[in-house]
Amino acid sequence: MMTFLKIAWRNITRSKRRSCITISAVGFGVGALIFIWGFVEGAHRQMIENYTSLLTSDIQIHQKGFHQSQKLETHLLNPETLLVALEKNAQIKANAPRIKAVGLVSSSESSSGVMILGVDPEKESSVSTLHRRIKTGAFLDMERDSGIILGATLAKNLNVSIDDKIVLMSQALDGSIASGAFIIQGLLDTGTEEIDKGLALITLRAAQELFVMPRAISEIAIRLNPAAESRTTARKLKDILPQNSDLEILPWQEVSPSFQQWIEFDNGFIWIIVFVVMIVVAIGILNTVLMGVLERTREFGILLALGTKRQEIITMVAWESFFLGTIGSLMGLLLGLALNTYFGKTGIDLTAFTKALNSFYIDSVIYPSLNVTHSAVSVMLVLTTSIVVSIYPAFHAANLKPVEAIRSL
Amino acid sequence: MRCEAQPRSEARRTDVYVERAPEAATKQIAKRESPKVKGKSIVGMNLIETIDLKKTYSTGKNIETPALRGISLSIADKDFVVLAGPSGSGKSTLLHLMGALDTATQGAILFEGRDITNIDIHKLTTLRLHKIGFVFQAYNLISTLTALENVEYTMLLQGINRRTRRKKSIDTLQRVGLDDLIHRFPQEMSGGQQQRVAVARAIAAEPRVVMADEPTANLDSKTAESLLELMQELNMEKGITFIFSTHDPMIMNKAKRLIHLKDGKITPAA
Repeated sequence: MMTFLKIAWRNITRSKRRSCITISAVGFGVGALIFIWGFVEGAHRQMIENYTSLLTSDIQIHQKGFHQSQKLETHLLNPETLLVALEKNAQIKANAPRIKAVGLVSSSESSSGVMILGVDPEKESSVSTLHRRIKTGAFLDMERDSGIILGATLAKNLNVSIDDKIVLMSQALDGSIASGAFIIQGLLDTGTEEIDKGLALITLRAAQELFVMPRAISEIAIRLNPAAESRTTARKLKDILPQNSDLEILPWQEVSPSFQQWIEFDNGFIWIIVFVVMIVVAIGILNTVLMGVLERTREFGILLALGTKRQEIITMVAWESFFLGTIGSLMGLLLGLALNTYFGKTGIDLTAFTKALNSFYIDSVIYPSLNVTHSAVSVMLVLTTSIVVSIYPAFHAANLKPVEAIRSL
Repeated sequence: MRCEAQPRSEARRTDVYVERAPEAATKQIAKRESPKVKGKSIVGMNLIETIDLKKTYSTGKNIETPALRGISLSIADKDFVVLAGPSGSGKSTLLHLMGALDTATQGAILFEGRDITNIDIHKLTTLRLHKIGFVFQAYNLISTLTALENVEYTMLLQGINRRTRRKKSIDTLQRVGLDDLIHRFPQEMSGGQQQRVAVARAIAAEPRVVMADEPTANLDSKTAESLLELMQELNMEKGITFIFSTHDPMIMNKAKRLIHLKDGKITPAA
């Protein structure tokens, strides 16, 4: 075995230029794969972070059935015990109670359907970034229950601005008409159309009064510590929270399955890039190994004449491919890691595409992230490809007829 | 056609061309040597026998070029035989067929009494590995291996342990006068040195026969003579059978037995 390894290795060093080109191609392929994967991973991480921090949060807790019905009747009554239990959980960074209902907002000129969200301004600031998205005016405060925050587009449609008075209308929990006048305290500009066009924020206390549900809330929004995973934590919470059989504890993936599907689709798309890179790598290795085999036809003839078995010839050629693949992959791994580490710190500035990026919850500067699994998969894929593409040249060499091969120039 | 075996004590024998029908040639061999046939194994005295051996190359659509037109001969063990003839006479083809490197179109080849004409490719490979050594015109060493590794290679394939094969290889390289060049790669040696390595490679594994195809064609006369003397000595010392294909008169002069070929047939000496 050692002699075959030796021959394979020396054949690589014999054609230094060709081997270098192939190793470079493989290295570039692996490096590009790791970098692209890191870039997409970084962008996805930002998307998820921006999406969940904007409004959805990492986990939502409701009374069972609320997510489907979105009705006030399905509420959490006296949630204090639940909130205390959540406070004690080490995985949870913050939680905020909310009341959520649909209603109508009217100005003197126009009216529009909206999602009314009653929030505790202080607690809400620890689970969402809505307070940071105030374009004009100020965020809600507990001292002023008459204040309301509207989406900037909604305000424009209603032709209202800061300090203008608007009226919210809906149906209260007791079936009565819920109606209240509010003063516009701030305008939201999130870049997300459905929020900017259809969200009205009031204080939790104002919402409880408006909807006649003084000791009830619709949902608890939860923000997790960075290390915690939303699905796993949601599963654990189901086991430990009081009255858990009456609760629906949903990670963001279940709250917004379409967003999750979009991320999965994007991950699937990466495999197309992987496939294309693999084709390029395969052609590079095939070219080198096949040229090497054709160039050494006479030598293979000699090896066969001396009594080398066909499977030994195949092994020898496969080793050559494996060496090229391994060296290229390692170089590519270093390249990919270096690129991801560097741009992971400095970020990649895509300010020119800000508008398009923001609509996908992506920031203008993307920070690629290192993923050990993806790096390992990239290397393994290239190594496997290098072995697979050597099959044809290896069988070609093994099936040579000694006499004809020795006679060849 | 066939040639009669003669005593080895004779300095040189020249084979006589005798035209016979193929069937007759086969019967002739069978009758003379009284072989005992067991399946495909025929027990006889000769190392190699060919019976009405024909080889035709297809060089294009419906174009066939006969290289051997019915060769029947026998090679005795420990012989030093030269296949002589002009280019295209079929001597290299005959050497390749006897060396199990190629397959015949028609006829039979017996190696140590065993019919190897139609055995599968794996068995031919094993036969070459254990019984036959080769020396080629263009040296044909493995360029990525040193002289020592080239000589070791066949023994490695045979599964001989590292210590034994290393010792044998060094001894053999010493025998061919290259003990100070054992770690050199082929491209770092002269043609004569490379051909000596090729001879060492051919004999190190102690084959029954060494097939040498124009071994001196690329060497100057002095180097060629020295190499030939070496092979003669090996033939005498180790009893290895040597079969040459050549049109080099110097090799012909040193042959114990000379077989002339012309147009794919054995012919009388000129």
